[in-house]
Amino acid sequence: MKKIFNSTTQPWFTFLARLTLAGVLLAAGWIKAMKPHEAAASVRVYEVLPVNIANSFGYILPWIEIGIALLLIVGIWARWSSIAAGTLMVLFVIAIAQAWVRKLPINCGCFGNGGITADGKVHPWTYATEIIRDIGLILLSIFITYFPSGKFALDTGTDNHENGGER
Amino acid sequence: MATASKKGPNGKGDKTTRNLVVGMILFVVVAGAGAALASNHAIKSASNPSAVETADGYGIGFNPKAPVKVDFYEDFQCPHCRDFESANHIYINKIISDGKIHAVFHPMSFIGNESVLTAAAAACASDQGKFLQLHSALFATQPASENSGTWTNARLIALGNSVGITSNKYADCVNNGQYLDWTKNVEDYAGKANINSTPTILINGTPIAQTAYLNSSALEAAFTAAGIK
Repeated sequence: MKKIFNSTTQPWFTFLARLTLAGVLLAAGWIKAMKPHEAAASVRVYEVLPVNIANSFGYILPWIEIGIALLLIVGIWARWSSIAAGTLMVLFVIAIAQAWVRKLPINCGCFGNGGITADGKVHPWTYATEIIRDIGLILLSIFITYFPSGKFALDTGTDNHENGGER
Repeated sequence: MATASKKGPNGKGDKTTRNLVVGMILFVVVAGAGAALASNHAIKSASNPSAVETADGYGIGFNPKAPVKVDFYEDFQCPHCRDFESANHIYINKIISDGKIHAVFHPMSFIGNESVLTAAAAACASDQGKFLQLHSALFATQPASENSGTWTNARLIALGNSVGITSNKYADCVNNGQYLDWTKNVEDYAGKANINSTPTILINGTPIAQTAYLNSSALEAAFTAAGIK
């Protein structure tokens, strides 16, 4: 581990982590941004927010994801954007977990297999796989938060760019 | 930009580039979110098909005086709606034509642009008294993948002709996009009514169990329980 992960390779790991996290956020954000009504429904299904607020949040959320993804790609404020991405993922995990407990179907749109299928059965893996994926992304964002300076970045990754040196 | 990143954070060019990029990203986010918020709400000035019941979420209504009200939330591009339709359309079309239910159809458009086009065409067909016919035809000929470029105005007009719509008003209605704005009203209402998936069928406001959608005997039992004999 020490051989692979050292001060020379760390910026590359950070770069890869940034791109992975950004790729997921950008894809998720873009798909939802193209289908705003489905995005709104995908917030409503968790039955956490009042319907009106959920709808507005559903319209805005994809663009927040896209924004964070773009910052991660170009490497601006990597620490703060990864904290923001991680926070989003933590919120998603909480939302999915409470839906699982309440047996809410988390699919939306044309109903498929979002936890509860048409036959009324609960499918734990639907919730579990989503949570596992989000936890993986949370780990990436924690990594970037600790090692924000990476390759191909427009700043050093922290907000105190005035003091940072080239790495 | 590659050279800027190598200049180091104290270089003036570096900071300018960074601020410029931050500005562009901020613009994308604000413009995108703003446009999404601005374009997804009801349009009061939209023209409605004559069968529309504005109080019932701009749905297309049949038999408004029948005692049992049934709301159908569907998207013409949704495969499960197609399955629901193919399992139950004979029964449902019959209880509508027999005047036994007050049916209200809400053609949703969350799957994208071709959902909007098909919903608007269904509204045009409604004005020609052929909503149910086009409704069935749209599901029967649903393309394998969504927004694949299959649903064009020309094809929707041809489909309308195939179910017996002869008036040129239908073609004009489709070509002029007369009811495109109306689809936003339907969608806005469905969102506020917390309809999250399609098909969703409500009998007197209560959703039918998802288990009944593709099981026609269970579905008919639910209607019988609501007093439809």
